[in-house]
Amino acid sequence: MMELSLVFLGGLLGSAHCVGMCGGFAVLIGAPAKRLTSNLARQLIYSSGRIFTYCVLGGVVGYGGLWLAQRIGGFVHVQAVIAILAGVLLVTQGLISTGAVRYARAFVRRRFASAIAGHRVEIPAAGMGCLMGGMVGAFLRDRRWSHVFLAGVFTGLLPCGLVYAFVALAASTSDMFRGMATMAAFGLGTIPLMVLTGSGATLFSLVGRRRLLTLAAWCVVLTGMLSIARGASFLTWTAEAPTSCPLCHD
Amino acid sequence: MTRSHSRAVAADVQRPSDAECDYCHLPVGGAGDRRGPVYCCFGCRLASEITGRDGAEGEATWTLAKLGLAIFLSLNVMMFTMALWTQDLYDAREVGSGPLAASLADLFRYLCLLLSLPVIWLLGLPLLENALATRRRDVAAADLLIVLGVAAAYLYSVISVVRGAGHIYFEVGCAVLVMVTIGRWLEATGKLRTTAALDALEKLLPQRVRRLNAQGESSEVAIAEIERGDSLRVLPGERIATDGCVTWGCASVSEQLLTGESRPVGKRPGDQVLGGGLNLDGELIIRVTAPVHEGSLSRLIGLVRAARMTKGRYQRLADRVSVWFLRGVLIVACATFLFHYWQTEADAALMSALAVLLIACPCALGLATPMAVWTALGNAARHGVLFRDGEALERLAEVRAVRFDKTGTLTTGSPCVTHFVLHQQTDFVEATQRAARLASASGHVFSRAITRYLDADIASVAQPSVEQVTAVAGLGVQSIFHAEPEPTQLGSVRWAVDSGLVLPPTIRRAIVRAQRHGKSMSAISWNGKVRGVFVFSETVRSEAPAAIAACRALGCDVEVLTGDELARGRHLAEHLGVRVTARLTPEAKVSALAAARREFGPVAMVGDGVNDAPALAASDVGIALGCGADLSRESALVCLLADDLTKAPWAIDLARRSVRVIRQNLFWAFSYNTVGIALAAAGWLNPAWAAAAMVVSSLLVVSNSLRLQSKSTGLFADSSSQNHSTPVLVDDAMNETDHGALAQLNDYSTDDAKGPPARGHHSVAASSSEADVVRAVIENAS
Repeated sequence: MMELSLVFLGGLLGSAHCVGMCGGFAVLIGAPAKRLTSNLARQLIYSSGRIFTYCVLGGVVGYGGLWLAQRIGGFVHVQAVIAILAGVLLVTQGLISTGAVRYARAFVRRRFASAIAGHRVEIPAAGMGCLMGGMVGAFLRDRRWSHVFLAGVFTGLLPCGLVYAFVALAASTSDMFRGMATMAAFGLGTIPLMVLTGSGATLFSLVGRRRLLTLAAWCVVLTGMLSIARGASFLTWTAEAPTSCPLCHD
Repeated sequence: MTRSHSRAVAADVQRPSDAECDYCHLPVGGAGDRRGPVYCCFGCRLASEITGRDGAEGEATWTLAKLGLAIFLSLNVMMFTMALWTQDLYDAREVGSGPLAASLADLFRYLCLLLSLPVIWLLGLPLLENALATRRRDVAAADLLIVLGVAAAYLYSVISVVRGAGHIYFEVGCAVLVMVTIGRWLEATGKLRTTAALDALEKLLPQRVRRLNAQGESSEVAIAEIERGDSLRVLPGERIATDGCVTWGCASVSEQLLTGESRPVGKRPGDQVLGGGLNLDGELIIRVTAPVHEGSLSRLIGLVRAARMTKGRYQRLADRVSVWFLRGVLIVACATFLFHYWQTEADAALMSALAVLLIACPCALGLATPMAVWTALGNAARHGVLFRDGEALERLAEVRAVRFDKTGTLTTGSPCVTHFVLHQQTDFVEATQRAARLASASGHVFSRAITRYLDADIASVAQPSVEQVTAVAGLGVQSIFHAEPEPTQLGSVRWAVDSGLVLPPTIRRAIVRAQRHGKSMSAISWNGKVRGVFVFSETVRSEAPAAIAACRALGCDVEVLTGDELARGRHLAEHLGVRVTARLTPEAKVSALAAARREFGPVAMVGDGVNDAPALAASDVGIALGCGADLSRESALVCLLADDLTKAPWAIDLARRSVRVIRQNLFWAFSYNTVGIALAAAGWLNPAWAAAAMVVSSLLVVSNSLRLQSKSTGLFADSSSQNHSTPVLVDDAMNETDHGALAQLNDYSTDDAKGPPARGHHSVAASSSEADVVRAVIENAS
């Protein structure tokens, strides 16, 4: 369970990325509050809603990993594969946040501009995202705590690459409770910064925040590489699949 | 608020027996004259409650909160259920056997029960109410059965929990209810987006206008209160609310929405203005000639709405199929239940039957055609193409040949001066002055053409002193210049000859040549001699070559049918590179269309809707140009609001894309349903997955249909009507021998459809020095 603290750290620093998208929500949540204490209370309720959703996601994918391991564990080392996939996702997510991927995409777009021009692809899932966003917005504007909580629940369901990357990590645990714990740790890690943002405290200047964002991105990349290493080390076990994580011998 | 406003605006245009959904404004079948808001589906009812359209904000958030709460509870139920499932997957030694595990399991079961009961109350009841309230019995039956099936699953699960043994299906019930509700909501949102194009048009009309009373005081009133005869004050930057006549002020007005004319038109007292026009730069007072719901823009919107009410071929097919489909589904569901009940347990049978009902829900089938058609109609209206009904879209997609009328369609129908031939070069300034003065006093079509031609020069020339200009009917205009004994004449050549005026040789040669080509002329003469001749020509629309090329690129056979002379037809054929059949009587045109139909397939006829109504009606699809100012061209199935010919092939392309999308949607709906039903009947499909698949399927159909909102692909990726309002003169066949001189004279080439020349048709004075050019004409003519 040692890696939970690493996940917590990943969430803590990764939440600098969260502030960009969900920071606005947090500010909206805090808006109707008159006093700092009630603002803090609303922020905590909002975040608990988010963590609830993360736990659900973690539990579902943890169960999914377990189910997969049971079904096809004989052919494929499910844990290893998922761990590697999760690691790749995290690394990609981190690199995107540092802006490296954006350069590549812009390069591709310039190079193949003529071939791409005129094609528009409608992503059906975007409809789902928009719907969730609409619900979040509707709940955000309400004063009642039940609605703040629900706003948090739906914020957790919003499409977010960072969340999905950590969800993949949770899947690699192949255990429902460990999956929930992983996501809970991630969620708890995101609390401090989100609560601070929502309460209106700005600890860092703009430059500082950007540096923090870059640092957070590299931390996410580090977490990803660790996951890949874990998965790879699973695979080097030729005898039989180990039932526990080789890194922490849990 | 915009919706009720727009409803007031467009309400009267619909037929009273049809109704529109209050949320998405799409047709509701058989609603009759119910009181209160009418919705086309559960999704619209739900969505309209959520957006609080009906009023109270509190109620809006309550509906949303119900859904949010239901989702929250469902998530909890799912967690606990999964925890129960892990007991099946783990070894006993992992979790621990014994009383602790057993009582934990029991606790989880009770928790599931507790948490899922509110969900059936929050989501199941509204579904049930809607199912009971809806008129369409088949859809109601399906919805009813789904809710009953979920209730049965719940009941079974409650009994299992109380008994302490047996499976529980709470998570299935919750997931199904949540998915069905969300799915319906998504459909409603999708339907709303198909009307987005029209909404944008409706929002253009102002909500409130300034009305002047008899004393000239202005007061703000709502747009619905405007009556015929009111005076409205429109300031710069505002849109004109309805059709009217300018009584005071002058301004530039852009009527691009309705006429497609990108250049603003100057309006003065006495001019007509159309509702929806944009006042650009001056204050206007307008006397209303039609109330708002009869104004041009409102009528346009109303016509699109009416078009959506109609059902095309595919839609009728889908409707027929869905009736039998639903009955078939109900039978299959019952059969599945009985079969599985006989084979296994009651609960497995229930799950299978429920899965069949869910996967077979014909939402996708019901939406497949309408969504595509409505999106296409709205998009077309936004681009200035009006389809009379949904069937027009389908028919246009099948067109294999396009026939163009000539006068007024390919050509603008108003003449332009191509040549100004002079007796002596020194006469140029004098002739220009006199002709300009005389022509400006006459409203004749030729005079207007001469005025336009000499436009650039009038301003720089002092107005000569002249007495009253008199018009001689049918012959021309004349007046005394500079107190001369004889009047200066501008008019037909025959009049000049009959008046005893002398024709110098240059002039005579020019006249002969023009007559050989069947052209019209006007002669300017003074002091006993004809000094100059204006030669007129019809102007072919600048976008005509592009339109013809586009039709060809679509694989259609193109030909021009005209009743005009052979010579003119030949010139047009050479210029445009298209087959021209000339000297056709109206009956001959109809038989030409029939011949085309036999040879190529369905034929579309493009005309101006006024002069060739029989031909338009005889073709498979009639396309009328320039409907913007007059929306009642009944003979045409497709109305192009602007005078832009390229919109015809664009419309054909849109129709083909729409039919493609309809086919894709129908194919998807059918195949997905068939495979899904097979899987569900076999008992391999969990109802929760079936419900999720239903949502995904609806989402796919909606997204696919909304693709039609984009402008286009391929051929028309960059269609703009900017260049198409200025006609280009192309008739240079007058003088076959001196092409060079003509090229000098007329500063453009035959394929100059790229854009308007820089006032090139004044190039007698424009290009090189005037004297050189005129001399060239005279020398070559001798």
